[in-house]
Amino acid sequence: MTQSMHEYPISASGLSKRFGAVEAVRRVDLEVAPGRALGLLGPNGAGKSTTLSMLMGLMRPDAGEARIFGHPAGSPAARAVTGATPQATGFPDQVSPREILAYAAARYGATPDVDAMAERFGLGALIDRRVAGFSGGEMRRVALALAFVGAPKLVFLDEPTAGLDADAQEAFRETARAYVAEGGALVLTSHQWDEIEAISDAIALIDRGETVLHGDVDAFRARARVSRLSFALPDGAAPPGWMGAVRESERWRMETADSDAALRRLVEEGTPFADLSLEPLSLKDLIARVREEETNR
Amino acid sequence: MTSPNAMGALKAECALTLRILFRQPAFWVPTVLFPAMLYAFFGAQSGGGQWAANAMASFIVYAAVGVGFYLFGVSIAQDRVSPFATWQRSLPGRFVDQWIARIVAALIFVVIAAALVAVMALVMTDVSLNAAAWVRLSVVCLLSAVAATLMGIALGSLVSASASVAIANLIYLPLAYLGGLWVPPFAMPEVIAAISEWTPTRAMGELAWAAVEARAWEVDHLILLLAWALAAGALAAAAQRRTRPA
Repeated sequence: MTQSMHEYPISASGLSKRFGAVEAVRRVDLEVAPGRALGLLGPNGAGKSTTLSMLMGLMRPDAGEARIFGHPAGSPAARAVTGATPQATGFPDQVSPREILAYAAARYGATPDVDAMAERFGLGALIDRRVAGFSGGEMRRVALALAFVGAPKLVFLDEPTAGLDADAQEAFRETARAYVAEGGALVLTSHQWDEIEAISDAIALIDRGETVLHGDVDAFRARARVSRLSFALPDGAAPPGWMGAVRESERWRMETADSDAALRRLVEEGTPFADLSLEPLSLKDLIARVREEETNR
Repeated sequence: MTSPNAMGALKAECALTLRILFRQPAFWVPTVLFPAMLYAFFGAQSGGGQWAANAMASFIVYAAVGVGFYLFGVSIAQDRVSPFATWQRSLPGRFVDQWIARIVAALIFVVIAAALVAVMALVMTDVSLNAAAWVRLSVVCLLSAVAATLMGIALGSLVSASASVAIANLIYLPLAYLGGLWVPPFAMPEVIAAISEWTPTRAMGELAWAAVEARAWEVDHLILLLAWALAAGALAAAAQRRTRPA
């Protein structure tokens, strides 16, 4: 147990998995440090779920190895410090969230304050009702609470907010950020870029079974120092040609590595812009740009 | 590793399993009534005195095998592929707890089912046993239930969910017949009688008949039953290891 202090929550190298003729995952390397959140991104069928299953120890890799705080993935020591969401469709109908939470807590040997958890995950009125008849969003809240009930040091979240309403999504993001801020490690998959962006500080992009990009979001931002400049123009006016701006509904926008220079020139030339905004690139556009750079290199 | 912690986890496992089952009366009511009904139709008519006692013992073993093997063992094939079971495998704790919980649940339902057979026998026939015979019969019933549940778990761990029920039928019904639970062993054709000697159901039957006839148990039958239970446990453990990397 002492060694776990110095080990990363996740260090996986060369993970490979084949299903018949299909190589679902090929030599995937991943690392997650304490107090960090990794977003696993990729199109459907890219190998995210297979990778997650191997990290959780539910599936044995054909090659490579995954270690959780230095212990083999799926080993008792690894499972003791890991939490995960069940797929929201799979609860036995006959039990209440309180009963499932108590069950999971007992498996961890934890004694959580179930009422506080119910509050935090929006289960207040649902906590003693049997889950039969719960909506998808209500099931999802139970699933999220279950991932955290054992006070784990590492949490796996597969599509954590699918089916949640906007308030519940925001509440969950708050919880996830607080967990990471307190030193917890998090791995999440999502199809929603804004969710990954709101929670993760590192990402791994998986495509056709391979990690095509893996690193800190800040590092990507530093590499592609690009911001998006957008503004409105009076009817009939066009932006100067040097900008290469494109029209997007009522506004014009351009992406630039040197927004200061672009802005100065716009002012000097007396361009009649209005309602100007300057924003960093969204994660999705940032990743697209970094990938483009890598393939052109 | 075996600490208050581990006991708490086992208790939680049993509580969850029993809650889920008991809250499905549509599942457990027919389950516990079935052997008594079958006994009323086919067992209670087999005469009086020792005949009646032996028939009751046979149907009590049949109840133990049916409920244990079928409903608590083989059903693991369906449960194993559910997303909830997948998540359970990601939790800390010993895997064997889930088997223990299944066996505990099976024992509870077997006791109810067997008690109903006994009540039916007392009402419909002139069966009368002394306390020692009832105790010994109960012991056989519980042993049989544990062995049958383990055999069911082994089968359920080996085959796919869709194949499990069909294969279970192919094993369970012949085993009941071969064990002499429906037709007494001496009335069997020679070849069948020879095979019968090696079946777990025959061992259960012999132990149960010895109990109601106030004869001593033969060690051979106890060993045969134990061997089947151990083999089933080993097979289930091996099947389990396939799906679990560590």
